[in-house]
Amino acid sequence: MVTGFTGFVAKVFVALLLEEVDAIGRIMLLVRPRGRLRPGRLRVEQIVERSPAFRPARARPDLKDWLAERLDVIEADVERPSCAMSEVDFARLASADVIVHCAGLTDFAPDPIKALSANVAGAVHVAELAERLRAPLVHVSTCFVAGSIGRAAVPERIEPGVAPNGRVFEPGSEIRSLHLACRQAETVAQRVDMALERARTFGWPNIYTYTKGLAEHLLASRPELDLTIVRPSIVECARTFPFAGWNEGLNTAGPLAWLISTAFRRLPTVPDHRFDVVPVDDAAKGLAAITAAAVARQAGGVFHLASGDHNPLTFERAVELTGLGMRRWTRRGAGTPLDRLLLRHLDPIPVPADRQGPLAVGRLRRWVDDLPERLQGERLDRARDQLARVERMLELYLPFIHDNDWTFDTSRVRALTAHDDRFRFDLRDIDWCDYWVNVEYPGLRRWCIPLIDGARVPEDPPSHPPFRLESRARAEEWTTRVASK
Amino acid sequence: MTESRPGAFFRLEGPLVAKPAVLAAGWLAANAQRIEERVLRLGAVAIAAPFALGLGGERTTGQRLAWSSLRGTSRDRLRVLGEEYAEVHLIPALRAIGVDLIERARRDGCGIVLVSDHIEEIAEPIARHLRADVVRANRLEMSNDRATGRLADPVTARLGGEALRDLAREHHLDLARSRAYGAQGSDQVLLSSIGWPCAVHPDRVLRRVALDLDWPVLESP
Repeated sequence: MVTGFTGFVAKVFVALLLEEVDAIGRIMLLVRPRGRLRPGRLRVEQIVERSPAFRPARARPDLKDWLAERLDVIEADVERPSCAMSEVDFARLASADVIVHCAGLTDFAPDPIKALSANVAGAVHVAELAERLRAPLVHVSTCFVAGSIGRAAVPERIEPGVAPNGRVFEPGSEIRSLHLACRQAETVAQRVDMALERARTFGWPNIYTYTKGLAEHLLASRPELDLTIVRPSIVECARTFPFAGWNEGLNTAGPLAWLISTAFRRLPTVPDHRFDVVPVDDAAKGLAAITAAAVARQAGGVFHLASGDHNPLTFERAVELTGLGMRRWTRRGAGTPLDRLLLRHLDPIPVPADRQGPLAVGRLRRWVDDLPERLQGERLDRARDQLARVERMLELYLPFIHDNDWTFDTSRVRALTAHDDRFRFDLRDIDWCDYWVNVEYPGLRRWCIPLIDGARVPEDPPSHPPFRLESRARAEEWTTRVASK
Repeated sequence: MTESRPGAFFRLEGPLVAKPAVLAAGWLAANAQRIEERVLRLGAVAIAAPFALGLGGERTTGQRLAWSSLRGTSRDRLRVLGEEYAEVHLIPALRAIGVDLIERARRDGCGIVLVSDHIEEIAEPIARHLRADVVRANRLEMSNDRATGRLADPVTARLGGEALRDLAREHHLDLARSRAYGAQGSDQVLLSSIGWPCAVHPDRVLRRVALDLDWPVLESP
């Protein structure tokens, strides 16, 4: 059973399993309905029909039957007790071999009520389900629950009740306190500020890592649960599956690439700090191998899916490659005239956070604020908004691009998959220059950066007739009924 | 044991493109990551240019000087920009006469060897485009994935002698049955080591040598 199928990683994970494992059995997707008009099944059908992740699958002539035998949907909501699942659906899950919990909210500074609901309550409800089913749980978290610990190696381990900064705490009571504090705050902004403050007292840099961290601590203290925690680092564009460059939504590198592809060319970072990136298909492969080990009850504990310990990419290199990627992308005719004429020739550079020079964002914003009133107008308001947005973005990203240098240990997953040809997790063969310039940057430009600019990213064209995920028996029953009428 | 075959040695600068390698060094210098680096590097190339063009002093030293301006440039930058320079500035400017000679040599069963004063990052995309079997270009020494500014030996301005015989041995080429096409005075070392030398669009020095030694001289209109 898989949760979070509508998200980036889970989509590739499921598509990869379907593609690579003939004897996959049946994947039950736990999907939340979006009102009456968009039940979970319809959401799955739309993804299969239009998401680029399913392009390889859609090439099959027998797609409908092939998927009907392998994929099923359960309407449920992990944020509600017992996942709001009917007893009938629960019975359908009785023979589940493993539960892979990918659902979560990945925004860095969301409303903490939503983050608690998605990242903490969701994890607990799925854990309860796993306990009832006596199935192992593979919980997908993030490497960055390691928190703000400066330059450090991060082992594949969790100490329940010990925060990143070493503070001992009781996760349940912290969650209750956070709920209470959320109720007392009057606005979303107040709630966000309050939650950020609390997160920092434990050493977590933002609400995302805070709630993900709390969930890990809660799950790790459940003795009945057969738990495996999988922590990917920054999941980025696919290397090969479903095809090179595919990405979805806004991930960490997208906004950064957008930022240094604008007139803002000075990224505050430390040149030799690691930018720990993992392509989504490699993350999916690692997750598949760990899931298989969990089914065989040979997993357990924590697994990192990261690159920094065996093929590190530094920020200095990533910034330069982003500039070179933009250069190549515009040379092929893409971008605006300004990009092609000017910006492609001005490379981004890493600068220390405290020495950003005369064009530092904060300084520019103050300069705009101080302009005489007669010069103020709609254009300056837009510029001010843009600068405030960039400043806010940098504030959120500083822990990841400047303040910390994590080296996530990946020896467990690499040992686990060393002899696995299909799902080997080993990123030593990534040529970062080729990946960044020819795959990552064009991928971000196509699939992510339009979202920042408020545009839509392309979906695959709908099929005619629309794809419907029906079991063969149901389809035959329907045909017979129509024929008899 | 593999049987040897004739080779066809082509100097990139002259027979195949009119642009000298020092222009590439200048272009890469002008595209350094930081603006201040661009100014300094361009100044260094400007100083080296007369020597690299053979207008004064030893050409090999001129080449070393010109490429030394790229000291500190990252391997990634050399690779991406080298490819761009080749694709934008050199491949569209390939001389028809040179390309035709390559095709003819290939038809005659020769192994195609591209010899260039450019650095490998620029010469290799061109070699791929021309489907050359071997490429011998200048190589910038690297330390921590950044150019030290030194060219690794042998510098290709004067390819000949032991370096040429090693190359022929490595790729099973019979020098006596091979042909070579050069354009610069410094190419006489290469041309005189090969069975069938030919000057293509030669400079003043090589033209005189070619006339003295009765080498054919080719020029497109």
